[in-house]
Order: sequence, then C-alpha cells, then structure tokens
Amino acid sequence: MKAKIFASIAVAITGAVLLYAVTDFPNFGDPRSPANAGVEGGSPSASLYYIENTYRDTKVPNLVTAILADYRGYDTLFETVVIFTAGMAIFAILRVLRNENAPSAPSPDPEASNRTIDGDHHRIIVGITCRIAVPLVQIFALYVVAHGHHSPGGGFQGGVMLGASFILIALSGSLRDALARFSEASYIRLASIGILIYAGVAFLPLVFGRNFVDYGALKGLLGTDGEEMARSHGIFGVELGVAFTVMSIMFAIFANLSTRGRLKGGL
Amino acid sequence: MSDHLPVLVLLAPLFGAITLGLFGMKDHRVCLPVVLSALVVSLCCAIGIVLKVHSGGTLDYFVAGWKEPFGIGILLRADAINSPILVVIATVALLAAVFTVRHAGERDSEKTPHFYILFLLLCVGLFGITITGDAFNVFVLIEVTALTSYGLIAIGSSKRCKVAAFHYLVMGTVGASFYLIGVGYLYLKLGSLNMQDIHTILASNETLADSRAIRTAFVFILVGIWTKMAFFPLHGWLPNAYSYSPSGSAAILAPLVTKVSVYVMVRMMVSVFGLDRLEANVEWGHFVVWLAVIAIVAGSTMALAQREIKKMLCCLIIAEVGYMVGGAWLGDPQRWGLTGTVYHILADALMTSCLFLAAGAFAKWHGAIKLEDLSGIFCKMPLASAGFVVGGLAIIGVPPTCGFYSKFYLIRGAIEAGQWVYVAALLASSLVNAVLFFRIFEIAYFGKNPVESHGHGDDHGHGHDSEPVVRREPPLQALVPVLVAAALVILLGLFNGPVVEFIRTGLIETAAVVSTGR
Repeated sequence: MKAKIFASIAVAITGAVLLYAVTDFPNFGDPRSPANAGVEGGSPSASLYYIENTYRDTKVPNLVTAILADYRGYDTLFETVVIFTAGMAIFAILRVLRNENAPSAPSPDPEASNRTIDGDHHRIIVGITCRIAVPLVQIFALYVVAHGHHSPGGGFQGGVMLGASFILIALSGSLRDALARFSEASYIRLASIGILIYAGVAFLPLVFGRNFVDYGALKGLLGTDGEEMARSHGIFGVELGVAFTVMSIMFAIFANLSTRGRLKGGL
Repeated sequence: MSDHLPVLVLLAPLFGAITLGLFGMKDHRVCLPVVLSALVVSLCCAIGIVLKVHSGGTLDYFVAGWKEPFGIGILLRADAINSPILVVIATVALLAAVFTVRHAGERDSEKTPHFYILFLLLCVGLFGITITGDAFNVFVLIEVTALTSYGLIAIGSSKRCKVAAFHYLVMGTVGASFYLIGVGYLYLKLGSLNMQDIHTILASNETLADSRAIRTAFVFILVGIWTKMAFFPLHGWLPNAYSYSPSGSAAILAPLVTKVSVYVMVRMMVSVFGLDRLEANVEWGHFVVWLAVIAIVAGSTMALAQREIKKMLCCLIIAEVGYMVGGAWLGDPQRWGLTGTVYHILADALMTSCLFLAAGAFAKWHGAIKLEDLSGIFCKMPLASAGFVVGGLAIIGVPPTCGFYSKFYLIRGAIEAGQWVYVAALLASSLVNAVLFFRIFEIAYFGKNPVESHGHGDDHGHGHDSEPVVRREPPLQALVPVLVAAALVILLGLFNGPVVEFIRTGLIETAAVVSTGR
C-alpha cells in the first residue's frame, strides 16, 4: 500500500511536469514550428532540408524511408541490432538446452484436446485456410519490403509480416510444422545474415574511401547512372537486411515464449 | 583507413557479433578468438583516436557523408573528453573477456556464443554512446546497451538474477523513456537533434533557452540518465543486478555501464546545455550537489551494512556515482570539479573492474560470497589478493593509485566552489571505505583458515583442515586480468598529470568551440 502511494505521487509529479511544458509547445500541425521550419532567425531545420532535397539526393519518393535508411541510416542499423539483441537475450534467458529428453511436466499435450470430431473439422478448416493464406501473406510482405521506396512500408513492416506468416503456420498446425520449415539453426543464421547485409552494405563505401553508410560510393559497383540511384539501391539493400532480421527474430521470440524455451509442444 | 577510426571502433565488435551468430553456434571454439580479436581491434582504434585527438584536436566523422548543411546526418565526434573513455571501455572489456574464458554462461556452456554475442553488442553500445554527437543516437545506443545488459544479467543460472534483471529492465526502461521524452521536447522546440546544433541555438536565443519546454526537457534528460547510472534515490536496481549476475557479466557491466551514463550527463552539460548556462543557474548546481552528498552518504552507509562482497562493492558504486554527479555540478570557475569527474570516470572504471574481477575470481575458485569466506585468501591466492588490495586502496584513495588523484581534483574543485558539505561527504566516505576494506584485509590476512566452519560454499578441496592453506592461485585467465587492472589503476595514478592536462584542454576547447558556434 505504501509503495502504491509513493508510486502515485511519483506519477502525479511526472505528469504535472509534462503538462507544465505542454503550454509552451508550438501548435499542432503548425508549418512554422521549429521542428518543421527551424528556429526563428536561425538556420532552417533538417526536416525542411529533407522535404526539399530528399528526392534530389536519393531518388526515393518516400521521405521517411530515405531519412530512416540513409540520412539516419546509422541509427536504423542499431535499431536492427536492438531487435537482434532482443532475440539473443530471449534465447539466452528462456531456451532450455539441457534435459531435452526429460518430459516437460507442466505443459499438457495441446493436441489431445483437439482430438474430437469437432476438433478435427476445426483443424481441417483452419489448416486449409492458413495454407492458402500463408503464401499470400508472404508475397504481400515481400511487396511491402520492396515498395518502401514509394509508399509506407519497408524492412521492419515487411519483416514483421514474414515473421507472422511463420507464426500462422505454427498456430494453425503445430510448432513442429513451422520449425520443420524454419528451424532454430536457420533463424539464428538468417538473423545474423540480416545484420550482416545491413552492416555490409553500410561498410562497403569504406572500401571506396567514403564514409560509413555513404551508399553513393557504390555507384561503380552497382553500375548506376549517378550516386542518387546508388543511394536508392543501397537503401533497398539495407531494408532487405532489416526484413531478414525482423522476420527471424519475430518467429524466434514466438517459438521460445510459447514453449518456455523448449521448442516442443506448446501451441 | 585511419579517417574512419571513430566508426571502426564500434564496427569491430559488431562484425564480431555477426561472425559469432553465423559460425559460433555450431563450433564454440570460434567464440573466444573472435571476441578477443574484435576487442583488440577496438582497443587499437581507440588508442588511435586518442593520438589523433592529441595531435589534431576534435575529430569529426560525418556518417553517410552528409556534411552540408550541418545537422542533417549523424555526426560522430571524438574529443579529449570521450576519447580516453573509449580506451578505458576497450581495456575493461578486454580484461572481462579474458576473464570469461571457459566459464562464460557458467551453467549452460551451450549458451556460450549467445553470451559472447551479447557481450560484444554491449561493447558496441558503450562505444556508440561515447563517441556520438547526436542526442537521439545516444538513445538508440542506450537501448542496445540496456537490452544486452538485461540479457547478460539474466543468463546466470539462479532465479535471483532473473528477478534482478527484470527489476533492472523496469527501471532501465523508465530511465530510457525519460531521456527520450527529453530529447523529444528539445526537438519540438529546436528542430534539431545534433548536440552542437542544439547548443548553438540555445546559446544564441536567451528566451528560448529559458522556456518551460527546454527546462522540462533538461530535467527529464537528467532524471533519465540518473536512473541509468543508479544515482541515489534511483539506485534500487543496481545491487541485485550486479551481484547476482554471472561473474563474467558483472566484470564488464559494473565498471562500464554506470560510468558511461555519467559520461552522457557530462556530455549533455558541456556540449548540449552549455556550462555557461548551468553556471549562471547556480541554485540548480547547489541542489544537485546536495543530492550527490546524500547519495555518497547513503551509498557508504549501505556498504557498511552488507555481508556479501559483491553487494558491498555495488553499494560503493552508488557512492562513487554520487562523487561524479556532485563533481560535475560543483560549478567552480576553473572547472576542476568537472575535470575530476571525467578523470574519475576513467579511474573508477578501472578500479571497479579490478575489484569485480578479483571478487569474481574469489567467488569462482574459493567459493567466497560473504566477507567471512575471505579468511585466509591471502595465503591461498597472494597475487589475486594483491590485485584486490590495490583496487581497495584506490577506492579508499591512497596515493599513488588513481583514486587518490581523482579525489584530489574533486576536492580542489569543491573548495574553490565553496561546497564544504561535498568535501566533508567525500572525506567521510573515504573513511568509511577505509573501514570497509581494512576489515576485509583483516579477515583475509589474519582470519582463520577456511576450515569446516563454512563447508557449504566450497565443495572442492579443503580436505586438509588443520594444515595451512595450500597456495592455489586462480588460473591465469583470471589472474592476468586482475593483475593488469591493478597495474593500470596504479599507472593511471602515476600518469595523472598528462591525462588531466589532456582532459582539461578538451573541456576548455569544447566549451570554446561550442560557444563560438559552428
């Protein structure tokens, strides 16, 4: 009870301080707010530069993608590393590697409850539907990854969808089916490959004597007309890396959480 | 390639982690060579950065090459304040890596590659936080550091370390969110994330700098970082997290994570909000120094009450964080307090590393968890204990260890600023440290030999009860890091002159560069 009172006081103070500052904010959607146009009398803000020059610099119509993967691509590399880290940490904490043959006591066989006639119908209907849905989900996911240049989307979103498609296999059938298609060894490897693609594409410019993440240096390698197109292709490359990592880690988290790290039984 | 040092220093461990993810899972023998070589490369890069900064001043690296207009890309900036910290991070990480040979995850040796992946990514995060010049990038790398820390703590076998990691996770997330809110408010009012850009705008626009949103942003950033560094009222997560985690994890987490958070605070004060502004608002400084005094007293008092070695060391970390926060906020005109703080970041990282490595070795090869378990350790492990003594003397502040000089500079700053309470707290805390460590030395030297009295902890080899203890040092993998750390503690003390000179040029130069604008 005491702890609750203290917590409430702390929350109240934090909220009051936050509200205190709100009165000072620029209006919502104000085009002349500092974040949009820069401080009055100062130099124009970065966002104004992005709005005016992103297409010229990168030939990517979607500003968000260009900022995410090029201007601030260094941040996004580490956001991807965060996801990779989350997967590794969950593995380190949850995965049970010893006593694999010992019977896992607390989890009752989930398939037993479904072995009624109703359950079988249920499984057939859900199973067939998902079998049709999964390839469509995956194709749409690839579209989202590839179309990040033009519309909302990109590696994170597409990767989540790809991961979800494997989770759907696990939910509609069993985790064993999903693991048969996407085993533990392969999802760890694929997550690492994703980071490797991102870091590798970002690192290549160093070989050409340019700075980290400066995809423009890949002009010769990719055979594009100008540095802008090279940047565009570089952005696609790193999005692909993000998609690999996100897909693998999403599925890894699901598999470990749903089976308490045993990768057996579960849902 | 030498132009790219600021980014190579963290790419080496990143590529190391990727290599482990690809090849380490099948064959665990790959792990150690990869980890060690990645960290050696980082150490070389960090030393290279120090040399370049020493000869050529501040080193700027524009990621993705976006130089013009300033602030559209991400800037990495190495100067005299952060470059020595990079070297210390690489050194401590290397020592901890050597220490973990053959007992990485302690129980589950199958998880060795995962342990090392998290270990290397933690180094990536720490290097990244230290070298970046972008306020948002700091947040991203704080996330990397935090997630890896949770994993490294929870990888231990006991249930306690999982609970401790969860507690840390909650507190750490609150801290990181506060920092993010602060940065968000800054962006809302200033439209920039680049630290120097923010500073230039604040310095040129008085009314904006005094506005409510900016003040709130500053408070949130400070409180967020204070949570991350376990500043006294926000310290709850630290003792359990670091004392229940595996020795190998504690050997890198305890010395580095809190110290790097202190560095972030210093960086925010020097290069974002500006020392002139902070010195103009003296009452803020007084307030924080009082908080620091409370932290020092509380940390020392809690340390006195502990029965376990690592818990006691953790409480000392809390007191040391108090030293550093107080020192940074003294506001003396010559900035000796700030100099002492930056120097103490280096010193404290090394001495904490020394103590935690030694404590880890005692726990692993002597079964010593409580203070009493240490009796007779000097006869059994004279060299490792010597390392522990050096670390302890440094915490007390005995010359010629680095602990003495950092306290010297902090006290000098406090006297010039007239902060006598802080001086008193520092001296009292040194006395408490002396009591603590001489109590340990007494147990360790003159205590009874480890006989049947505590047979529960040590299941290996105390068969000869009444005979004098056989000398049995921990294996080289543990002994060498302890001794190297002890030697560095003394070396940093002996060469405090040039180090402090280097830091001071950096502090003055950075402040000057920043206030004249781009």
